[in-house]
Amino acid sequence: MIATNPKRMVLLPALAARLAFVGVVDVVIAWLVLRLVGDGSYPLAAVLGVIALLITVSFSGERFRPYRWFSIGLSLSILFVLYPIFYTFYLSTTNTGYGHILTKQQAIASLERTQYVPEGGQVFRWTAFQADDGSYALWLQAADGTASLARIGETVEQVRPGEGGLGSLDENGVPISIDGYRRLERRDVVVLLDQLSRLEFGTPPHSVRITGLNAAATTQQRYRYDPQQDAITDLQTGTVYRPQNGTFVADSGEELRPGFFVGVGLDNFTRFFSSSALQGPLVTIISWNFAYALLSVLCSFTLGLAIALLFNNLPGKNIIRTLLIIPYPIPALVSILIWRNLLNPDFGALVKLQQALFGTAFNWLTDPMSTRTAIILINMWLSYPYFYIVSSGALQAIPTEMLDAAAVDGANQGQRLVRITLPLLLQIVSPLLVASFAFNFNNFNLIYIFNEGNPPIAGSPIPAGHTDILISFVYKLAFNSAQSDYGLASAISIVLFAFVALITWLQFRYTRVLEDRI
Amino acid sequence: MADPFLRTNVSLATGQHTARLSYRQRRWLGYGIRYVIAAGLIVFAFVPVVWVVSASFNPSGSLTSIEIIPRHPSLENYRGLFENSYYPFMTWLLNSFKIAGVSTVFSVFSTAVAAYALSRFRFRGRRALMRAILIINVFPGILSMIALYTIMQQLGTHVSFLGLDSHASLILIYTAGALSINVILVKGYLDSIPLEIDESALVDGATHWQIFRLITLPLAKPILVTIGVLTFMAIYGDFVLPRVLLQSADKLPMMVGLYLFQSADYAKNWGIFTAGAVIAALPILALYMLLQNYIVGGLTSGAVKL
Repeated sequence: MIATNPKRMVLLPALAARLAFVGVVDVVIAWLVLRLVGDGSYPLAAVLGVIALLITVSFSGERFRPYRWFSIGLSLSILFVLYPIFYTFYLSTTNTGYGHILTKQQAIASLERTQYVPEGGQVFRWTAFQADDGSYALWLQAADGTASLARIGETVEQVRPGEGGLGSLDENGVPISIDGYRRLERRDVVVLLDQLSRLEFGTPPHSVRITGLNAAATTQQRYRYDPQQDAITDLQTGTVYRPQNGTFVADSGEELRPGFFVGVGLDNFTRFFSSSALQGPLVTIISWNFAYALLSVLCSFTLGLAIALLFNNLPGKNIIRTLLIIPYPIPALVSILIWRNLLNPDFGALVKLQQALFGTAFNWLTDPMSTRTAIILINMWLSYPYFYIVSSGALQAIPTEMLDAAAVDGANQGQRLVRITLPLLLQIVSPLLVASFAFNFNNFNLIYIFNEGNPPIAGSPIPAGHTDILISFVYKLAFNSAQSDYGLASAISIVLFAFVALITWLQFRYTRVLEDRI
Repeated sequence: MADPFLRTNVSLATGQHTARLSYRQRRWLGYGIRYVIAAGLIVFAFVPVVWVVSASFNPSGSLTSIEIIPRHPSLENYRGLFENSYYPFMTWLLNSFKIAGVSTVFSVFSTAVAAYALSRFRFRGRRALMRAILIINVFPGILSMIALYTIMQQLGTHVSFLGLDSHASLILIYTAGALSINVILVKGYLDSIPLEIDESALVDGATHWQIFRLITLPLAKPILVTIGVLTFMAIYGDFVLPRVLLQSADKLPMMVGLYLFQSADYAKNWGIFTAGAVIAALPILALYMLLQNYIVGGLTSGAVKL
């Protein structure tokens, strides 16, 4: 025991484990990178390559040893935090969106999978069987009465009952059982139809595909891509389609779906900054975005601070504090939904109360100004507890000697508050106010959950509402409209990224949070 | 200083009885006004809470009901909630626990490991790495939603457990958010644990990994619990990411489910909605009650964005 070096004893198995780990990670990533390159998803492939490199380097040499401790965290950060920011930028320079979701390779692959039934192609009635290993086979019955069994990747063969493990036929001419297979009932088949119709049974050129719930047919590939010509030919009609702005178009103007995305330069940014159709709604959205973030912070902070000051030395303040903090631990989304119901113009309890008291009520969800007021009020309700907690903490941090000294010098309560307490407190909480402004500037949940950004702006060419902020508008553009426009939505996201970066830079610069923390 | 009683007496004696109040009276008047304000604010804070709780026990189904205590309280809405076949509330709740729970464990682990290395090792690029960690998570993930959606779509074509409509995707994205200001906070906490403990363990032949697991982790428990609770609450309450990435009804977490439920069938099921809202809020409320001190401490130290 004394003679052996304990460090080496630990290291040998550890080394083996380390090499095995790196090997496995590299192999898996390499496989994924190859597949992604095949799809034409080059940026993602490149990022995965970088991650593999990082892991390999940090685990093989002694020099970057400490980086092992970050390898997983850093890899995930690069893949899902850093890369998406750059990818958003990339998307903003493309026309990605409705009809242009895939890469060119994927679009071609999808088109080349399209099949058609050629003239003289045979049509069958089919019954599906499933083998014990999960694979499928089809029992095909042609119109002339002949029957055959089609397996995946095997030549279709005509078979007779009693041979090849076939059981006897039922009244429809379908074997009741086949050895090693289970006959699928119609209700099972309905669920599996989508999956089954993607399978190719038998072998080309006589492969059979399911074309409907009752029919299968021998089919042929319909489109073929020629890389030299960069064109797609319809093998059925002979029409040639050429790529144009992300769609294959024939001379006649006929287009093939799906299309693919292509670079469009800064078109999306140009549209954002200067399209006359977008200008009206965008001005409304942007000015409300600023007003909303600013008012939310000011109102919530004022209320939280007032509460902290008022109840700072009140007997029983602990009970009051516990009660007043109640909005904080309720998930904001649940609270927003409850408020939405309370203010529902048809049956909201608060609206009914308002009507009972005043004979009339605001249209909290349909009138632009009332909806905006409601949003600010709800945000006050949601976030004053945070500012209450923070302000109380900050009040404790203000040295009492200063206040006492001021009192001795003859300053009254009001003067002490305005001249000493508030300036010191603002100094402590101002970074939090800025952070809260930045948070509220992109506070999607409140805007979208409360009223989906509605009421809608009349005459807007894009789905936009009077209470939409930029980020909820981005969401609607990308995910909530029939003609989703990822390109424009990404361009707006980039503008938001730049804005958040600016705020953060100012914050770091003037408060030196960064330096203090490190 | 003059005795407040004395002063009153003097003014009485001199016949100059004015409306001026004694010090004590003024103090209690001040308290009184503040208690009235406090009462008003407490009503403001509790209106939605009281409404939703009382409505959830009110089986009458009358939408306009403003009875605070239902005349015939019952658990019918809650039964309706769990027997609803179109809207699987139980599954949603379990999904929420699964996604938030697993992500929290991964995040806290990844945070602790990174903080340990930053606190205990000196290496090239350490300060740059800390800066990067601070800056990288300044941008809210919601700004990247389109990119994340597209990336998951691309990954999903080849890796079946990732991709759209998968909990694993969500968990990985949430875990990726762990390398944030929290790392710096934990690092600060670890800096305060004396190095001598580590050194004596090193002398005894322990590896850094053993020291981290057996000594540092237990000692750092308070800050890790704080960060864990705040992370869990944030992920449990998240809406956009699961809304964008998940598709099938039985994969959704509670927040998305509740939103869809209330926007789809509000008029018919408002009672069930209130019961759902109560159930959705309860786990977080309970967690808050249990770990209140950790959470408030974390809030004032800046461990959470908001």
